[in-house]
Formats: sequence, structure tokens, C-alpha cells
Amino acid sequence: MTGTVVGPERPSAVTARDLARATATRQRRGARFKIWAGALCTALVVLPVALAGLLPLPDANAQDLSQRRLPPLSGGHLFGTDQLGRDLLSRILHGGQVSLSVGVLAVLVSGLIGMAAGAAAGFFGGWVDALVSRFLEAQLALPLLMMLLLVVALFGPSITVITCVIAVAQWPEVARLTRSLVLVEREKPYVAAARVLGLRGWTVLARHVVPNVVRPVSLVVLLLIAQAVLLESALSFLGAGPQRPFATWGRIISDGQAYITTSWWLVTLPGLVIALLVVGVNLLGDGLRDRTRRRKGARA
Amino acid sequence: MPTYLLRRVGQSLLAIFLTLTTVFLLVRLAPGDPAAAYAAPTASSAELDRIRAQFGLDEPLINQYGIFLRDLFTGNLGTSYSFHAPAFDVVMDRMPYTITLAVAAITVTTVVAVPLGVWMARRADTKRELGANVLTITGQSMPDFWTGVMLLTLFAVLLPVLPASGFTTWSGLVLPTVTVAVLQLALVSRLVRREMVTALAAPYTTIARSRGVSERALTWSYGLRNSAVPLVTALGTRFAALLNGVVVVEVVFGWPGVGSLVVRALATRDYPLIQATVLVTATLAILVQLLVDLAYPLLDPRVRLGKAA
Repeated sequence: MTGTVVGPERPSAVTARDLARATATRQRRGARFKIWAGALCTALVVLPVALAGLLPLPDANAQDLSQRRLPPLSGGHLFGTDQLGRDLLSRILHGGQVSLSVGVLAVLVSGLIGMAAGAAAGFFGGWVDALVSRFLEAQLALPLLMMLLLVVALFGPSITVITCVIAVAQWPEVARLTRSLVLVEREKPYVAAARVLGLRGWTVLARHVVPNVVRPVSLVVLLLIAQAVLLESALSFLGAGPQRPFATWGRIISDGQAYITTSWWLVTLPGLVIALLVVGVNLLGDGLRDRTRRRKGARA
Repeated sequence: MPTYLLRRVGQSLLAIFLTLTTVFLLVRLAPGDPAAAYAAPTASSAELDRIRAQFGLDEPLINQYGIFLRDLFTGNLGTSYSFHAPAFDVVMDRMPYTITLAVAAITVTTVVAVPLGVWMARRADTKRELGANVLTITGQSMPDFWTGVMLLTLFAVLLPVLPASGFTTWSGLVLPTVTVAVLQLALVSRLVRREMVTALAAPYTTIARSRGVSERALTWSYGLRNSAVPLVTALGTRFAALLNGVVVVEVVFGWPGVGSLVVRALATRDYPLIQATVLVTATLAILVQLLVDLAYPLLDPRVRLGKAA
């Protein structure tokens, strides 16, 4: 940034102050703020969750009825204890491992399905495109959460079912984006060149087209992780999440709801943790998107 | 235009029909027995068989499907097992509540998010705009059931100014509406901001400004007017989604809409009620989408329906 500031050998009416107040500078500053703040919030949640086993915490399932519903910061419990005397912080961190793995796994699955379907639809067109597009439209018309509840109620709330259900709920987003990007990409000269060199359609798609659309798609996938965590906690809240002994975030909140008037922390703190993580991921994704959009704008 | 309408309605009917068939198969293929949920826990197996015969669940699947289709075309959606009333009537009893909540939420969202988006576009890339942006993203990031429980505790328990649950007075509408609207603000305000920034930078705005059109007119009749199509699309899609039942918020606030109804219907394996709910909500959602599409030529005379975009 300092490289553009003009020295005395090249006099200019543009002062350093003008540059600092220019729209481009402010946009860059805004994007940078979002990326840093987002990364910080995400790390604040993800690191403790990932290291939950190493931290000096009481066992998440150790009950002590004499230590029931202690407020935060008392008796060596940073977040207090729940209705069965279990350490709330430990439960949130261990529950977070389940919530986060479900979210990440679901997003990986939906990302793969969405990219494969979207890329095939955009690249080959014709009946492949018609099939994928009709599927997308049909799913958008469906009452989403109702269908998810239906499937979970019917096939049982195992971690596999819930992961698949969230993945199925999210693939249209990835597929639509990939399709639109591939539609642009396949008209570019390098695709024609690859074809002239005698590569088959699938090879061109996998080796040349997909690597060029992976970046924007992975950004959306990052944002979907936040949605997946929210969706999983909503399902858990409605009683359709992973069953005990898994203490997922939504379940901790729905269990604590009965004590809301006497023990505020049982609902407030887990909710704040979810919100912090999702805000972090959303800000991070938003900042990264702002940055790439601006770069693209500058190139065009 | 009439051909376009016919084709759209045909497609919609097909989509609804396929959805219903999927739901019909899903509920019957999965484990769980409506008779067991219906009968007393002590019921003998003979009694369960009798209930199954009464519901027509002893027939082969294909026959059940045939009966379902025949009833569907004669406008009969079956009798709800748990309410002992026509399933369609049960759903229709709940529908006004869901529609009320959806209309209130989408109104609040529009009234707050559109001026906010306009403000953000006029102050684009300032610190205050960044602050507003971060604030709406935070609202979008909070789990809706948690926001609901928090608002409930604050305004119904600690400061008892609003009713906690149900819909007995109009004030009961406030908390659920706010909970739903908070989620939508970020999406809509950001869309308005993006469209407005594009519109305000367009040549027609520069020319209008050079002709002496006031900034106020530039904002509202030039900028917002040209952002109308994407804005109405987004609001329409959100509204359709809300009509499908805000399941979580309805459960938190004990709202007697279709969202809480479907949770109950699933728990009791009430097949006719599940099917009726899906039919009604899917039809309404598709209808809203159709109306939005039909509104495009009014909002932007350049749009001609039925032609390739």
C-alpha cells in the first residue's frame, strides 16, 4: 500500500491523506476488519473445542448433585454447572466436537455432491442440465425444515442420518453456484484448446475447468458450515438431533430451557458460543468474498 | 402470457403431486406404527389390528396409494388420527396463525431492512456502514430458537410486558415477529445495499443528477425503483419459506400455527395430517412464487414473461 504513495521526485496533487480516504482503501480496510474479526471469533470457539480433551476440565458427564446449577465463576466452574451438576464449559466444548464434526462432514458431502452435479450440469448441458435443474427447483419448493424433521423422525436420529439430511438440504446452493460458474468457464479458449488436444469431456472438466471454479465455490462452502451448525442445533433443539450421550449445542439449550428463570447461564452461554462461531464464520466468509469481488472488479 | 401461465400452473401441479407422493412413500416406508401411537399402551395386538383396518393401513401399499389418489381428486384428504377431524380442516384451522406471523414478519423485515439498505448504500464503505453490516450479520448468526428463548426471558419473564406464548392478544405477536425478522434483516438489507450501489453508479443516475433531480428522488425513484425486481424476488422467496411454517419459532412461543402442528403430527405418525400439511403449505408457497413471477412485468416493463431471459 505504501508503494503507491508518491515521493518528492514525482509531485502530485494526490496526498497520502487522499489515498487513505479513497473508496478502494476503505473497502480494503472493511474487508480486512471482517476477515480478522471473523478469524478471531472462529478461533475463539474452534480452538477450545478441538483441544477439549487436553484442557484441564472436569469430565463432561461427571454428575455431582450437590454441585447442581452453580452460577458461572463459582466452585472452579468457569461457566457454572447444569441441572445435574455437570460442568457446563466442559459439556459445551465436548458437545461442540459433535456439532462441529456433523457440520463439517455435512458440508464436505454437500460440497462434493453439489460440485459434481453442478459442474456436470453446466459443462454437458442437455439432459444432464435439465435433470439437475429440475431437482434443484423441486427442492427449493419443499418445506425444508419440515422435510428434515420428517426424515429424521422416520429414519432415527443417528449421526449419519443427520449428517446426510443436512448435506441434502445444502447441496442445491453449491450446485447452482458451480453450474453458473462452469457455464462461463466452458466458453473460454483453454477449454477449446484442451479439446483440440484430444482430451475427453470428463478429463477437461475435472483437470481444467473444476480447478478454476474451486476457489469461489469453497468460499460458499465455508459459509455453509455456519448454516450447518445452526441447522444441527435447531434439529437438536426440536429433539431430532443426535441422541444421548452426545451433548450437542441445541440439546444443551433445550435441556436448560426448563431452568431459564432460575439459571440463566444454562441457555445463555451455549447460545452465545454458537452465535460467536457463526458470526465468526459469516464475517470471515463475507470479508473474503468482498476481497475476491474487488480483485475481480479490478481485473475486468 | 396465457400459455406461460398454463405452463407454470402445470409445472406447479406436477411439483406438488411429486412432493405428495414422496411424502406418502417416506412416511409409510419408515419404521413407526400409527396404530401403536394411537392406541392405549396396553392395547392387545388384536386391537392394534382393528385400528389398522379402521385406518386402512392393512391394505397393500399400492392399494393405499390408489385410495389416497382417488380421495385426493375428490378433495378428501382423510381423517386425522389424533384430532378425529378431517385433516384438511385441522390444517386450515392453524393456517391463519401461520399466515399472520408470516405477514407480520415480512412487513417488519421490509420496513426495517429497506431503509437500512438504502442508508448503507448512501454511506457505502464508511465505518458506520461496516458497523451496521456487522450488526445485521450478528442477527443472522444467532440460532433462532435461542434468540426466541432470550427475548422470552427478557420481555415476558424478567420484565413481564409481553405475553410468553400463544396468541390470545395482538401483543403476543411481537416477540415471534421480532425473532423471525432479526434473521432476515442481514439478507434483505445487504441485497438492497448492493442493488442501490449499482443503481446509483449507473449512467442514468449521473444524467438525472446533472439535470437537477434531487438526491431524494434519485434515491427513491431511481435507485430503489430499479432495485425492485431482485428485492421483490428475495422478499417473495422469504415469505414463501415463512408460510411453510417457522417450525422452531412456533415451538418456542407455543404459536398455534402449522409448524408446531407438523411436529405433533410427526410424533404421532398421523399420516393424513402430515400429507394435508405438506399439500397446503407447498401449494401456498408455490402460489406466492407464481405471484412474484407475475409481478415482474409490473415492476420492470422490460420483462416479458415466457421469453428466455
